[in-house]
Amino acid sequence: MDNLLVIDQLTYKRNMRVLLSDVSLTIPTGSIIGLLGDNGAGKTTLMRLIAGAATNYQGSIILDGEVDKTTIKGMVSFSEQLSGASNDARMGDLAKFYDSIYPEFSMTNFNLLAKNFDLNLKQKLSQLSKGMRRNFVISITLARRARLYLLDEPFDGIDSMKRKKIIENILTWMPDNASVIVSDHHVSDIANLLDQVIIIKDRTVVNQIAADKIREEYNQSIEEYYESFYKEENDND
Amino acid sequence: MQFDDKVPIYYQIKKYLYKEIIIEHLNPGDKLPAVRQLAVDLTVNVNTIQRAISELVEEGIIVTQRGKGNFVTTDMEKLFALKRHVVEEQIEVMYNNLTALQVSPDEVLEYLTTYIGQRKEQDNG
Repeated sequence: MDNLLVIDQLTYKRNMRVLLSDVSLTIPTGSIIGLLGDNGAGKTTLMRLIAGAATNYQGSIILDGEVDKTTIKGMVSFSEQLSGASNDARMGDLAKFYDSIYPEFSMTNFNLLAKNFDLNLKQKLSQLSKGMRRNFVISITLARRARLYLLDEPFDGIDSMKRKKIIENILTWMPDNASVIVSDHHVSDIANLLDQVIIIKDRTVVNQIAADKIREEYNQSIEEYYESFYKEENDND
Repeated sequence: MQFDDKVPIYYQIKKYLYKEIIIEHLNPGDKLPAVRQLAVDLTVNVNTIQRAISELVEEGIIVTQRGKGNFVTTDMEKLFALKRHVVEEQIEVMYNNLTALQVSPDEVLEYLTTYIGQRKEQDNG
């Protein structure tokens, strides 16, 4: 498999604080990767950098051979994009807005996703429950035809039936030449879905390993394996 | 489908497909659902399904026709051998557990015959 994303020695500092330190990783084309780590470990920061939200970092981020940050931005669909939207905005109008700014946004796909999630597009963001809002964000994110999808904690506050629906939609809408990075701290939600896991701790990547290798060689669930990285720290405290 | 967290998923999917074939949900010559459809149905990723199917192709249980999809083999000898293999695996587990309890092979057979007799009566009654 070709590598879609290659990150080499990425370090990012802001206000004298190190937010990411010497992160290196590669993501194969057509894979689903779990980005696992405690809150504050650096998951969201890493996604923001890949998505081009900040540019003053050291090291390199290469997506399908491209290094130009604006080009990369157009190839990445990041679930955080809704964070700046007004609470008075209606979902339907927001979708039209994204359709106008992203050339690769598919209104047809968005409408299918929204229908699948039973979203009433006339509703304002302020009227949505946490779960409905998540479903809207997922619909917007997957409606773009991107090479890389970054889903930041998509299952936070979502019950297991709805979780399954989100997973089904990820599998249905992910293009063959695209990869997905999902961050989560409830590993069991997504364990079956993953090709690989990347474990992030103390602002750096501490391990990257194939999911079935954890099961086959260590006889562990992904959850147990992941927790072992954090347990050591607690024992040393 | 409920997966065991500690067993490789591709392996569990192989077992699932074996079962579908043995209980004739999938008959000889039947076309398998598209890889992506199987992925969605089982909520696992496409590569995991692909790996399981590749191994079944290597084993000769599934035949890939270029541009058409994946089909259950029509080679009945292969399918009988598959069933025998899957059954023997189950028997092996039972046999090992019982011999670990120092039950002799002859006794194993005796216990099994008695048990089957009882079960037949129960299940029919």
